Amino acid sequence: MPFKQDVLWYKRAIIYQAHVRTFYDSNGDGIGDFHGLDQKLDYLAELGINTIWLMPFFPSPLRDDGYDIADYYSVHSSYGTLEDFGKFLGSAHERQIRVIIEMVLNHTSDQHPWFQQARSSPQNRYRDWYVWSDTDTGYPEAGINFVDTELSNWAWDPVSKSYYWHRFFSHQPDLNYDNPAVREEMWNVMKFWLQLGVDGFRLDAVPFLVEREGTNCENLPETHAILKELRRKLDEQFPGKMLLAEANQWPADLRPYFADGDEFHMAFHFPLMPRMFMGVKLEDRKPITEILQQTPAIPPSCQWCLFLRNHDELTLEMVTNIERDYMNDTYAHDKTMRLNRGIRRRLAPLLDNDRRRIELMNGMLMSLPGTPIVYYGDEIGMGDNINLGDRNGVRTPMQWSGGWNGGFSATDPEKLYAPLIQDPVYGYPAVNVFSQRRTEHSLLNWMGRLIAVRKTTGVFGSGSIEFLYPANHRILAYVRQLGDETILVVNNLSNAAQAVELDLRRYKGNILIEMFGKNIFPRVGEVPYLLTLGPYHFYWFRLRRI
Amino acid sequence: MTEVKLAEESFLTDDFLRQLIDVGEVDILVGVPTHNNAKTIGSVVETIQAGILKYFPRERAAIINADGGSRDGTPELIVSAAIGDAGRSSKVYALRTLHSISTQYATTPARGTALRTILATAELLRAKACAVISPESTQITADWLTTVLRPTYAEQFDLVLPTYSRHKFDGLLLTNLLYPMTRALYGLRIREPYALDFAFSGRLGSQFLAQNAWHDETAQAGSETQFTLTAITGGYRICQSYLGSKEHVERRSADLVPAMRQTVGPLFSSLEPHFSLWTSRTGSQPVPTTGPEQEFTREPLRVNRKRLREMFLIGVAELESVFQSILSPSTLAELQEISRLEEGLFRYSAELWVKTVYEFAAAYHKTVISRDHIIQALAPLFRGRAATFLVENRNGSADDVEHNIETLCLEFERMKPYLLEKWNGRE
Repeated sequence: MPFKQDVLWYKRAIIYQAHVRTFYDSNGDGIGDFHGLDQKLDYLAELGINTIWLMPFFPSPLRDDGYDIADYYSVHSSYGTLEDFGKFLGSAHERQIRVIIEMVLNHTSDQHPWFQQARSSPQNRYRDWYVWSDTDTGYPEAGINFVDTELSNWAWDPVSKSYYWHRFFSHQPDLNYDNPAVREEMWNVMKFWLQLGVDGFRLDAVPFLVEREGTNCENLPETHAILKELRRKLDEQFPGKMLLAEANQWPADLRPYFADGDEFHMAFHFPLMPRMFMGVKLEDRKPITEILQQTPAIPPSCQWCLFLRNHDELTLEMVTNIERDYMNDTYAHDKTMRLNRGIRRRLAPLLDNDRRRIELMNGMLMSLPGTPIVYYGDEIGMGDNINLGDRNGVRTPMQWSGGWNGGFSATDPEKLYAPLIQDPVYGYPAVNVFSQRRTEHSLLNWMGRLIAVRKTTGVFGSGSIEFLYPANHRILAYVRQLGDETILVVNNLSNAAQAVELDLRRYKGNILIEMFGKNIFPRVGEVPYLLTLGPYHFYWFRLRRI
Repeated sequence: MTEVKLAEESFLTDDFLRQLIDVGEVDILVGVPTHNNAKTIGSVVETIQAGILKYFPRERAAIINADGGSRDGTPELIVSAAIGDAGRSSKVYALRTLHSISTQYATTPARGTALRTILATAELLRAKACAVISPESTQITADWLTTVLRPTYAEQFDLVLPTYSRHKFDGLLLTNLLYPMTRALYGLRIREPYALDFAFSGRLGSQFLAQNAWHDETAQAGSETQFTLTAITGGYRICQSYLGSKEHVERRSADLVPAMRQTVGPLFSSLEPHFSLWTSRTGSQPVPTTGPEQEFTREPLRVNRKRLREMFLIGVAELESVFQSILSPSTLAELQEISRLEEGLFRYSAELWVKTVYEFAAAYHKTVISRDHIIQALAPLFRGRAATFLVENRNGSADDVEHNIETLCLEFERMKPYLLEKWNGRE
């Protein structure tokens, strides 16, 4: 069944971030694959999600979990074939689920044939596809992203006896976007996947495409020009497809990525996410409202992407030093939980497995302005394994059941690409899809209801937001509005019951209908509207004038 | 019925309660009692805010103003120290919201009610540590906040009292009566039993709130001193923190009797309920003290010694019949004798002073006349003792003065049996 004509579909999307490798192993080799993912699409449809974002599945030496691509035109053999991908894509579309794939534009693996050719000789035709130098002193203002592993953005290549530029791991040389051939080829790559039917791209590390002396080599006008050119081609040749920017920047620096609605359709709101955690820990809405006050308006066709957790560490790049210290001390007291400038933990452990806080955070995720992303496994409250290196602790196999290998794979446990979570609290016998499906009030079923309620209205995806500022700072309250539809959201960020008086006089005469139970609350009058909320409780009210 | 009664008796207004609901539970509370302090309160509250942000950036904190009917905009200045997210763009960065709220407990100032309001707020907000800062403490620094609050917040002390650098002639009532007598009675060397800048724990605050006779005007007047005495007699953990220089606040001579009501009255009153405690203690022990040793400031301070002696002489002459009810004949005779001495020979000795004070305390216990009259009658005699103190220390160094104070303290300790003798005596 074809999708309805809806160029703004991404505003109504509920995105589920999955990794083929981690989701379901259909052939018993211990590694998830496209055929397995295909088999679990009904689960995702049942949960209510309507878009999947797949992490890189291309041929790769997997030194950075696939973000080190060695071939942009194929599928990693562990995950299947191009044909398997096509079949999966068709199955997803049949279920009205769109598929966004990862596109790593900034760099390749050092195993990519382009780089192998480039390093072989300064005269090679691919030499200029990467950024080379005789010294390691260029672009000194550029920061180092992986501060825990890299000392410099330049790496010495013993083969060609010169330095190459890399903003991430040294095995990920940056492509040279000043070279028209590179720009053309990367568009060809995108075109290839678009022709197969993908619905959009998450473009990885986009601020770093171009380097210029005297700058920090981020967010440069030349980079924006390249991205705009990609967008122009996309709109011309593949209307209705979407670009999502991964740019871990402050709101003011992010805003140019939307340009006049002619660059990216969506961008992650990185600074908001840590402040949601901070707000709940501080029991204070201030961090959340302040960052959203600083968030500039974006063109009507554009959208923020909101998330609680993802495959990376909980990034603390976009916070002040005081805030970073606070976050580390409160959410990562064990220093092994920290990585680079972030915290490598999943949602449930971060929130002490407190069901009320998990619900509150998801409630905010689904009701603040933007398109929400659910990281695989967080819908059942999966845990992490901080004993696994890098960010692998949050990339363990999906826990489908309490049986053999958590229902993920039929292979021997020793052959799994990564060990399952087995601790008594978060281990697969305790936390799995099978048992939560059978329990009416499980987190999984609650998430399904939350998503279903969100999908009853377009307000959350497309509406305006206006914050109320009740004197009780533990209460985060806002009004979402679209057309004649108005929704009031009230969140208690505190672990104690709270009373709050809301100034709703401009909505005088409306009655409040609680959106989950559909119960009626008193009519709004002249006096402050008094509400009481239990610990970490939240309300979504539809305002109706009847 | 009980609930109705409680509601009727509540001294917190509904509006203030509403504000407290919005503040919610706090870790740190700073109370500021005020009455027409607009001249000084701006810088004081700004410094309090800076101290909270510097030393307690992660803690839930609030500033609460108990105002006695200011008409000069004092409450508004305090409220403006709040840091929030609603339209007010604060110049300072804060991790979390800082509430700064105000309530007017009456249209005329009453220190007891102000303290009661702060105590009730601390209890309702479940403050782990609460500081009270005087609006006149213009010498306050941001460091004060950690100096007074940290021992309570992090080291389980229940009461943190200040020590200051004072001019050698500042705080004469303190050095000649309150400090030495409190020390002799209860065995703790507390330099400032009557403090306007101090901090306390939630449990001490709640204890005092529950037990104090808030409807008794006499008790209200001396609530700060009573608070210290409650901590001492209740076995609470007490420490002292050095807060730097104390600026001298000019007082009129008419201020002495109210000051004695606030300090000496509660001290005398404490003797009855705590008889077994003070009679069982001998000598004295230091209390834990943070910060440098107390030093005297060199700021010039003029005190009219001649006037003090004159008022002493007038008192001895005019209050003879009152003193006959209070003092032993020998003590009264000695006082009359020194009152006849020429100015140059006048000396009110430490021993005679201690005997005087102890006889007043015993008379207070026996209520030989109105207790308030007893306190009033002590005022002129204190002036005589103060005049002698000024003479004895006129050329003294800081160490000399400290030595003389210590000598007086030891005299109070040595003569403690005399108090007991008078206390138990029939007369």
